[in-house]
Amino acid sequence: MKISLNWIKEFTDVDLSIDELISKIGTQLGAVEEYEYIGDKYKGIVIVEVKECIKHQQADKLNVCRVDDGGYIKDVQRDDQGLIQVVCGAPNVRAGMLAVWIPPKATVPSTFNKDKIVLEARELRGIVSNGMLASPKELAFGDSHEGLLEIDTDIKPGTTLIDAYKLDDYVIDLENKMFTHRPDCFGILGIAREISGIQDIQFVSPKWYKENIESPIGNGTLALEVNNQAPELAPRFVAYSVSGVEIKPSPLFMQSMLSRIGIRPINNIVDITNYMMTLTGQPLHAYDYDKVTSKNDGRAEIIVRRGINDEKLTLLSGKEIALKESDIVIAIDDEAIGLAGVMGGATTEVDENTRNIILECANFNMYTIRRTSMDYGLFTDAVTRFTKGQSKRQNLAVALKTLEMIRELSGGQLASEIIDNNYTAQKISRVSISTDFINSRLGMKLTSEEIQRLLGNVELIVEKENDNFSIGESFWRTDIEIKEDIVEEVGRLNGYFKLPQDLPYRQIKPAMVGEQLQTASRIRDLLSAAGANEVLCHSFVHGDLLKKSHQDSSLAIEINNAISPDLQYYRLSITPSILELIYPNLRSDYSDSDNKSFALFEIGKSHNNQDKDEDNLPLENITLGLVFAADSKTAKRHFEGAAYYQAKEYLSYLLEKLGLPLQFLPLNNSKDYLKDDIWFKQLVEPYEDKRSALLVIGKEPVGVVGEFKNSVKTSLKLPDFTAGFELKLSALDNVNSETTYLPLPKFPKIHQDICLKVDAKITYDNLFNLIWDKIEASKPDKTSFDLRLVDIFQKEDDLDNKQITFRLTISAYDRTLTTESVNELLDGVASTLEKEISSSRI
Amino acid sequence: MNYSYPEIQDVASKLKDKERITKDGKAILRAPEFNSLFSKLKEMDSENRGKFGKEINDLKNELEVILEDIANSSSDVEQIDISAPTDINVSPEKHPKLLSSIYGSKHPLMVELDKVLGIFYRMGFTAVESRQIDDDYHMFESLNFPEGHPARDDFDTFMTKDGLIAPAQTSTMQNRILKAGKEDLEKGNPIAVVVPGRVFRNEDVDARHGHTFYQLEGIYVNKGVNTGHLISTFKTFLEEYYGQKMELILQPFYFPFTEPSFEFVLSCPFCQKKGCNVCSQTGWIELGGCGMIHPNVLKMAGIDSEEYTGFAWGFGIDRLVMMKYGIEDIRHFMSGKIEFLRQF
Repeated sequence: MKISLNWIKEFTDVDLSIDELISKIGTQLGAVEEYEYIGDKYKGIVIVEVKECIKHQQADKLNVCRVDDGGYIKDVQRDDQGLIQVVCGAPNVRAGMLAVWIPPKATVPSTFNKDKIVLEARELRGIVSNGMLASPKELAFGDSHEGLLEIDTDIKPGTTLIDAYKLDDYVIDLENKMFTHRPDCFGILGIAREISGIQDIQFVSPKWYKENIESPIGNGTLALEVNNQAPELAPRFVAYSVSGVEIKPSPLFMQSMLSRIGIRPINNIVDITNYMMTLTGQPLHAYDYDKVTSKNDGRAEIIVRRGINDEKLTLLSGKEIALKESDIVIAIDDEAIGLAGVMGGATTEVDENTRNIILECANFNMYTIRRTSMDYGLFTDAVTRFTKGQSKRQNLAVALKTLEMIRELSGGQLASEIIDNNYTAQKISRVSISTDFINSRLGMKLTSEEIQRLLGNVELIVEKENDNFSIGESFWRTDIEIKEDIVEEVGRLNGYFKLPQDLPYRQIKPAMVGEQLQTASRIRDLLSAAGANEVLCHSFVHGDLLKKSHQDSSLAIEINNAISPDLQYYRLSITPSILELIYPNLRSDYSDSDNKSFALFEIGKSHNNQDKDEDNLPLENITLGLVFAADSKTAKRHFEGAAYYQAKEYLSYLLEKLGLPLQFLPLNNSKDYLKDDIWFKQLVEPYEDKRSALLVIGKEPVGVVGEFKNSVKTSLKLPDFTAGFELKLSALDNVNSETTYLPLPKFPKIHQDICLKVDAKITYDNLFNLIWDKIEASKPDKTSFDLRLVDIFQKEDDLDNKQITFRLTISAYDRTLTTESVNELLDGVASTLEKEISSSRI
Repeated sequence: MNYSYPEIQDVASKLKDKERITKDGKAILRAPEFNSLFSKLKEMDSENRGKFGKEINDLKNELEVILEDIANSSSDVEQIDISAPTDINVSPEKHPKLLSSIYGSKHPLMVELDKVLGIFYRMGFTAVESRQIDDDYHMFESLNFPEGHPARDDFDTFMTKDGLIAPAQTSTMQNRILKAGKEDLEKGNPIAVVVPGRVFRNEDVDARHGHTFYQLEGIYVNKGVNTGHLISTFKTFLEEYYGQKMELILQPFYFPFTEPSFEFVLSCPFCQKKGCNVCSQTGWIELGGCGMIHPNVLKMAGIDSEEYTGFAWGFGIDRLVMMKYGIEDIRHFMSGKIEFLRQF
């Protein structure tokens, strides 16, 4: 929201440099987006009288003028009378007029910030023009470019434009979010009051700005009635008619002020309503009286009511809308003529032929205005103000000041009574508070006198009895409801930078550490140390990704208003999000592209529309997902066999480090575990049954590790060597990660291999456990051992069998073991197994 | 499928051969056999031409379906022994192995979050992660945003079909945390919790704006907590985080759930207020919002707002990390690009 510092200064002193002021506004009122000194634009530009104006011999549309600048510009070519020659093509140029001259070396103001045009003396069709006479557009006084800006008051030629229109001004752009609860600060008057308050200067509102005023009596020539059928939505509706207005441009001082803060001048009546809105925050609207009555058999009865569904209304902007019952509408008879508080209608617009007007200064329900504004996408200056909930108590003052300006600037006369029916005076909201309360909340030691002064400076109603206050809401404010509102006011006006900065007292008791966050942090450390890269993927996915991953989108929570189809659903699990990253990374030429293998992991949440938590909200499933991938070249060089084992290697590493025992079950044999678990079934969907394992603790499935279905691989362009896992993070919480320690052996270890040929159907862990148990059962006394895989071998011509070699490492605590005793041990194991599983030792 | 023209039937049986189709893959749709069929098509009378052409297309479609089936079928997928640590016939040097730790990386946002949490742990705060889906009560109502209030417009929230919300700020956890801490608070222990988490804004995305980012909320409630405490707590955190003396300015702001409300602006830690690219030459950085918890928010959690007061703040983690490393585009964070990730 732009404000003019010179306009502010009409209401309060500002005793600060601009830098001090901006920084003070920032810390005590709200953020300043930017500010600009607009005087620079108008440097050297001066008001002149056109003394002579004759036709250019060589050009039909040009005139050669001689202008009087009162000798202001020094370095310019003059004739013997001291006048300056300027060529001008504007249709309204004539001798005797006061115009604005941009002399050579000055910049055209409208071009000041972009593609600057600096003038010079140059020939136009053979005649020298010293600079130019300027249109409103060129001076950034609105966008009219049809003719010269005509000075409308008696100003001495040679007066600079800056002096004439107070253009030595700063335009300050305030962020307005902090005024959401301060409707008064959407007006210059409100801002001026605050700027006064933060300087510790007593503000005094202008005399006309008061709550209780005697209404003037009109001449009774233009009857007006207001029928407010929706007082709950339009709690106050002030209106009157004015006869005999002359529509013309508003005075230049007004045009200049409006245009510098970004409002386009239109005509005197519209400009007055905009000027008053900008000044007070109260939007106003003017209707053409005769257009209103012509539609209604000569009667001027304004109806305020709800919209009727599908009723049509053409707005001032030309847009036609179909109204809804939720809108507030201004109507005559059965025709809507305005969308109340948002935008007027086209059929009763004030135009150059308007002679009589109706002026409306109303208060509308902020929630209704907000909904209407959103429904039609209309975000007008009036909407900005009405949606903050303007005070109902200032309407009459604004309406009457507006009337005074209309009289002055258009010659109109009040022609009806001032209608303000159905309004009953509001009870003033009051808050009782003590000096102690304020000081304790701020951590300060202000005296009650200081508090009284700070609040009084901004004209709050302050009644003080010793250290107790009763604070009344002034008639322009709507935000004083609770004690904290007063604390805020005092703290801000006094300056928060003055608060003492003590830390709160704290107990020595240690704070609890978030367990889940700790687990996640530990996993991150472990996996990154294992060469894996942590990714963060979006919580939302495209429906296509679910489909490609074989997941059921009807179980996914759907976003209603997503800006892009990429954000259509909450993801059902993490694996698909990571899979989606594999192909782009394989294609990209990140460094070390000779070795394209990587492991990506994420710890994140997924949701579905079936599982609910204790608050009946979707359950948040936190899982760890990891995918390992290698392109074919790299896979061939470094990793042989199924990718499954590579993913399992990562998982086993993690489980070992975290001390978590998990059961691995072939996925195609373990569907019983998933029977009722809707979410978990979705989680395992992308994984290929025959080449994946379900991870189980007790009876509960907690994860899956494996390769992906062929169709998943095809649709996501995964390389052959891709596998991954996904695991519930809760399975990793609370694990007993305490290490078991074995004393170091003092005697040498013996390593011995045992290679068994077994039926190919016997699983690895089955065999491993058998051997382990046998060794455990028959090992020599006081020994400890370890058993590791050396390799698994299968002859091409004997696919029914496989040969597995294990290496036993064993040592005793009290002696040196003999090779013979270890051989004996393994011989025993081999012969037992031969009986039990028909294996043979190789 | 059978084809009525023997020429087509003949080609069909050749191309549908499993070995042929596996060998050719998609190229089979442009097999030379089709050319001969097309040249026959040209010689046909108009009556047959349409039918013949249609059958050629049918054959192509049939082949496409077969191709897809082959691609998706798991019938030829071999069962593996999932209990083994490695596959059969793999030489020991090619057994599965972890990648060198030199390639590993933690996500920069998570690293920073850990660092930030570490400071708050030391300052006596506990941490609870924020939710990624929540209801209107927690996101708005319990935070003193009345239904239809214009302050709701400041957030472009994602809504689900069931009327739930992807939280636009971690404050969505405030009511829960206050409720959970109430009993302990009344025993004399302050509520001191930080809430990291993902938040979502339904906005157009560019280098500076993502629709998803990370925020850290902080909540402190006790007897006698005042606005000065808010400033000093946050300043202490910032000085610890940046390892230098800082200036902190509060700019008045409006949030329905705090009163008074502020945006906090800190002196630029990268140039000591001299002006640099990080602070757009201003010497100051706007980091987040804060304020004294609105009495209505305390009341809504059953806490006596006359007796207890507190403050809350929230700021973005993405922003901290972008400033720290000079990351030019917020979208890199969630891009999953290894080139980006391995730099951290």
